[in-house]
Amino acid sequence: MANDGEGVIAIKEARLMRVIEALSYASIEDYDSCLNLLRSLGTTDEFAELETAFTIFIEELAEAKRQLREALLSTEVANRELAAKLATIEMQQAAIRDLSTPIIEVWSGVLCLPVVGIVDSQRSADMTETLLETIIAKQARTAIVDITGIDVMDTKTADHFIKMAKAVRLLGADCIISGINPGIAQTLTHIGVDLTGIRTLRSLRDALQVHLRETEQLHPTRRLEAGH
Amino acid sequence: MGTLIQQHEPGAATSASAEPAEPGLGTATAATHRVFAVDGWNDVAIARHQARRLAREHGTSPRRAGEVAIVVSELASNIVKYGVRGEITLHVATTAAGGVALTVVARDVGPPIHDVATALRDGYDDRGPLDAAALARRGGLGTGLGAVMRLADSVEVRQEPGGKQIIATLARTDQRA
Repeated sequence: MANDGEGVIAIKEARLMRVIEALSYASIEDYDSCLNLLRSLGTTDEFAELETAFTIFIEELAEAKRQLREALLSTEVANRELAAKLATIEMQQAAIRDLSTPIIEVWSGVLCLPVVGIVDSQRSADMTETLLETIIAKQARTAIVDITGIDVMDTKTADHFIKMAKAVRLLGADCIISGINPGIAQTLTHIGVDLTGIRTLRSLRDALQVHLRETEQLHPTRRLEAGH
Repeated sequence: MGTLIQQHEPGAATSASAEPAEPGLGTATAATHRVFAVDGWNDVAIARHQARRLAREHGTSPRRAGEVAIVVSELASNIVKYGVRGEITLHVATTAAGGVALTVVARDVGPPIHDVATALRDGYDDRGPLDAAALARRGGLGTGLGAVMRLADSVEVRQEPGGKQIIATLARTDQRA
């Protein structure tokens, strides 16, 4: 372990083996064992400088690895949270889609579609499709479309609502439109839609009463059946 | 029925035409605006509801708020259907006369409207009539732009490099309910 002046350093084999052992620990990312070995080397000579530098490198590498692991972990947690949020949003979207066309079977064979909020051309088309499908699926005899909750409608959309009522009749069911407000009444007469064959009533309550009265007259027992 | 203004600006920078023309009635004394990014049907619903709320907060009648909501909804739907992605900006200004002027600017990065006059017709897109199969595929009634024309006082279509803008203004005196 002496410097002979010719640039040759002699060290004990055991010391070199310890460094090699430390290096092998580092290669399998066991930095604690590696650093324990390196720090237990007490000698101070020129080879020790190399050992110290190696120790610093390993310490820095260990710290960098630790930070990387932490970052990966927090990213993973964030990703999981994001996935959970996206799933929630998807569920809410499905719920909102259902709510925008809530078709309720208020009585046996009587469907009610309360239309609330803003009805644009897209929503109007979606409603027609859903209502017609539900009439077939539930074998409904009457569909009541209640539009009390609408402030304003484009003329073409209003026209489409009337067409929807006519399509319901084609499927062999009656369609009653209830809750037409003065603004929409003006819109409908302004565009001159043909309202023949379309039954319009002031409120959902009137529409239900009319339906019940008529089915009772036609089938006096049905009311009892239906009311079970 | 609104008047239609068409502008083709092949060389104009997008930012140069970013601001809509001042709404026609009176000088604006207070103005605010909200921007809604549109990249899917969810955004259409959000823009529609927020537009109505904003209009009501500025004292418009329920009817007028409903009209602007339909205009926003139709233009936002068109962005999803044809415009790839874009944004809706709703400008609200109080006019000197005490009314509320609403301007809807729909901007997207999609292809230009091939033929505006045709696109405005009910049951047509920008290339011609929509048949039943086409309607079933794209949804809706094919009456969206027509509705915008009917509800707004003026509609301006600006075709620009890399996208387009449709500016609809509702500025006539609001019949307050």
